[in-house]
Amino acid sequence: MLALRVCWRRICIISFFEGHRLLPSTHAHNPSERPLHTLTSRRMLLLRTLQHAGRATKCLTHTRSFAVSATTRLSVDRSIYVSKSTNPYFNLTLEDWLFRHKSPKDPLLLFYRDEPCIVIGRNQNPWKEVNLSSAENTGTPWIRRRSGGGTVYHDLGNTNFSIHLSRSAFDRNETGQIVLKAVRSLGVDANLNDRNDICVGKDKISGSAYKIVNNRAYHHGTMLISTRLDTLGDLLRVNKPSLVTKGVASVRSPVRNLQQYNPSVTHEGFVQAVITAFRETYNIRDEVCEVEETEEVKSIPYISAGMEELPQWNWAFGQTPEFTYTLSNTFTWGTVTANIHSKHGMILGCTLETSASTLPVQPNLQGLGEQLSGQKYGFVEEDVLVLEDDTRREVWSWLRNKMSR
Amino acid sequence: MVRLHILSLASEYSVLTYLHSSAACWGKVLRTFKLADIGEGITECEVIRWTVNPPNQVSAFDTLCEVQSDKASVEITSPFDGTIKELLVKEGEVAKVGAGLCTIEVDEDEYPASDEQSSSSPPHPEQEATQSEKLPAEKSQPPAQDPPKPQRRPHPLDPNVPQESKTAFSPNAGNVLAAPSVRHFAKQSGVDLAKLAPGSGKGGRIEKKDVETYLAGPKEPKTSPGAQAPSPSEPAQDIVVELGRTRYGMWKAMVQSLQIPHFGYSTSLDITALNEIMPILNSNIPSRYLPPSSKPSHPPAISPSSFYAEPSPPVLDPSAQFHKLTYLPILLKTLSKAMHEWPLFRSSITPTWSPSSPDKPTVTLRPHADINIALSTPTGLYTPTLQRVDTHSVYSLASQLKRLSHLGRQVPSGLTLAELPRRGGTLTVSNIGGIGDGESASPVLVPGGGVAIVAVGRAKWVWDVNRGDGKGERRLKIAVSWSADHRVVEGAELVAFIETWRSWVEAPQRLIAEGV
Repeated sequence: MLALRVCWRRICIISFFEGHRLLPSTHAHNPSERPLHTLTSRRMLLLRTLQHAGRATKCLTHTRSFAVSATTRLSVDRSIYVSKSTNPYFNLTLEDWLFRHKSPKDPLLLFYRDEPCIVIGRNQNPWKEVNLSSAENTGTPWIRRRSGGGTVYHDLGNTNFSIHLSRSAFDRNETGQIVLKAVRSLGVDANLNDRNDICVGKDKISGSAYKIVNNRAYHHGTMLISTRLDTLGDLLRVNKPSLVTKGVASVRSPVRNLQQYNPSVTHEGFVQAVITAFRETYNIRDEVCEVEETEEVKSIPYISAGMEELPQWNWAFGQTPEFTYTLSNTFTWGTVTANIHSKHGMILGCTLETSASTLPVQPNLQGLGEQLSGQKYGFVEEDVLVLEDDTRREVWSWLRNKMSR
Repeated sequence: MVRLHILSLASEYSVLTYLHSSAACWGKVLRTFKLADIGEGITECEVIRWTVNPPNQVSAFDTLCEVQSDKASVEITSPFDGTIKELLVKEGEVAKVGAGLCTIEVDEDEYPASDEQSSSSPPHPEQEATQSEKLPAEKSQPPAQDPPKPQRRPHPLDPNVPQESKTAFSPNAGNVLAAPSVRHFAKQSGVDLAKLAPGSGKGGRIEKKDVETYLAGPKEPKTSPGAQAPSPSEPAQDIVVELGRTRYGMWKAMVQSLQIPHFGYSTSLDITALNEIMPILNSNIPSRYLPPSSKPSHPPAISPSSFYAEPSPPVLDPSAQFHKLTYLPILLKTLSKAMHEWPLFRSSITPTWSPSSPDKPTVTLRPHADINIALSTPTGLYTPTLQRVDTHSVYSLASQLKRLSHLGRQVPSGLTLAELPRRGGTLTVSNIGGIGDGESASPVLVPGGGVAIVAVGRAKWVWDVNRGDGKGERRLKIAVSWSADHRVVEGAELVAFIETWRSWVEAPQRLIAEGV
């Protein structure tokens, strides 16, 4: 604080002395008028310096409090935010909070990076989009976000940007152009494809999604800078052609990192470039606001509720659109074809057909199918099931295995 | 029994009312909420989730459902206050733009029936979502829609809101060029860029100031030939002012004056001797030049007219009467004396000659001295001519000057062709000293303005060390700055001419012997 105050005074003093040098020299022509002219200009300069210093102080205090101790509330008054947290639950909720609370007409820009995780779109089917067994093996969580679109993989080599605007001012292409301009300024010859994704040639380096509400809309997207593309490929590879789902299917594209085109590109460099383009487009002069995941911030009711909601079953699985899954397996005694019909993560019905001719199998399996009805897909409460005989147990074991991955 | 019967009839009737959605005693109507154009060229969406179910009560702007289209997840909010009656599109189903999403029962008087058929919005003029993005350098038009906000603030997706008011706000045009920040500013201000095209920027680009000017439009002050100053309530705006007729005339004349090679010469004339005789001259102004108030109230006891009443000279216009003589008429008179000695300064370039004609230029000499006087009036800058200055007395010149200034002060100007003859004078005099205490000037000649122009300054008392045998003397001096047409006048000639003039001004006694 002391250092700050001294600094501020120094700025004032320097400017005061330098003031006379900055005055136009034409005043020399009117000697009778000179004294008044000089005084006025100097005074004005001092005033302006004070104002500027005051502004800088306010900003510094604001930022410092976030970095050092969370004593001030997170405000929606700024225009450019950079999240210092790598918690995807926090970041997605922060984005939503800023989206819902910022004054509808003001543009806003947010950046965040997440620890390794998979993020699926609002209306997507995790069983179709995420390689659940790989995710479990690597300990990578998957999260359903609030905007539409497809599935992406986040890690610290990926930077997410989010541009919020009033609904009337929102234009997908315009916001895409901002990011494109930034990427091009980093020396990469990128372009926008017809789906508004940033590509270099045919390879995607960024994916986008949008959310539109009554009076506001946002465009957010990824930017692959140095992501582990092998992990990405593995986690997003799902081979279930017989799972037919409503909702949005991801449009798969080959992806590449920005660093493959320009090795000197960094997260900070990309952030700065987008900030510059954003400032130019919307004439924003605010300082950047850095947000830390502090207890203070997390205690904001909207944010705490949002962070809590994201991992819960109701949101994560319960928002899954309707789908049918047809699968078959050959057992020692015959082949079974299961047809599971699910909606909102619940099993609506499960029909089990078998080629086995032995009589008790068919009604047996039918009974099992009926029991599964009304259960959570992939989270069936086993103790509810009645598994008296081996057939049922075998079939159930197979089904359980299939539903979990 | 009868009562029951009536009640049951009544309930039947109310049921019928609801189904037929016609005006009813109970005032409730069914409105179909149709999926309005979300923009961005979206033609259909999948309903992801209904947040409400019949018979939930909803208020306007409550979230009804969430739909998904391509990569956008859109929240649809209710346009009405009312009760959800029926969901027309189930979760997971696709709703086309313009198709009904749900029915809501509303109060009839709150939402009067309008043409529901027209609610299916036409495909947005800029179906951009399906276009292929070409080079990023291409500026594509933003197809956004600004929801209108008339008196009762209908919901942006209210299908009953007339479409014209929506599209009127779409800030797009076929080929409007504008920077993204300008587009954004225009959108925020609700300005249609199409109305501003082309703008003032490079290549017809619309600049931010064009939008600002448009917004300030009706407040712009009307321009008049007098070019009035902008109103003080608009200090920050740039206002475009048309040049008045006279000022534009000056513009044209000055552009032509660029053809004339000017050279200048400045000096000061010692008018101390003139100053000494001024009181005598002032006290002997002929009565006809005097305004009635300055004349003695009763005629003298002895008057020459008792012998023979000479025919009195014509009565002068009050505007031509003066009560105080100034230096200018005397300077003009002395100038005419010098002009008499110097024929060059009584000549002007023959008007029939022009730079494009192949003949050698000629100069026309006139017998009398015609001098132009520069007159700055509320209506503009004029140069009326005093004809034959050498034939007029100083008093007569003073009277003419007074009349000219009176005519010039009129709005519109009272100067006529009589005062502004086509031929003009051969010298022009500009009495700048009357306006400001300058030290020198560099006046500009215009074609038809003669061969030289002089700007006369203000009389000032100065200490002249050249006089008084080294001790110096207090002298009244007046600065004069000359510019002459070097095509006709040599520098030395001008200087010599000025010295001739000086000899008359600094020794006004000479006028006595000449016979004024």
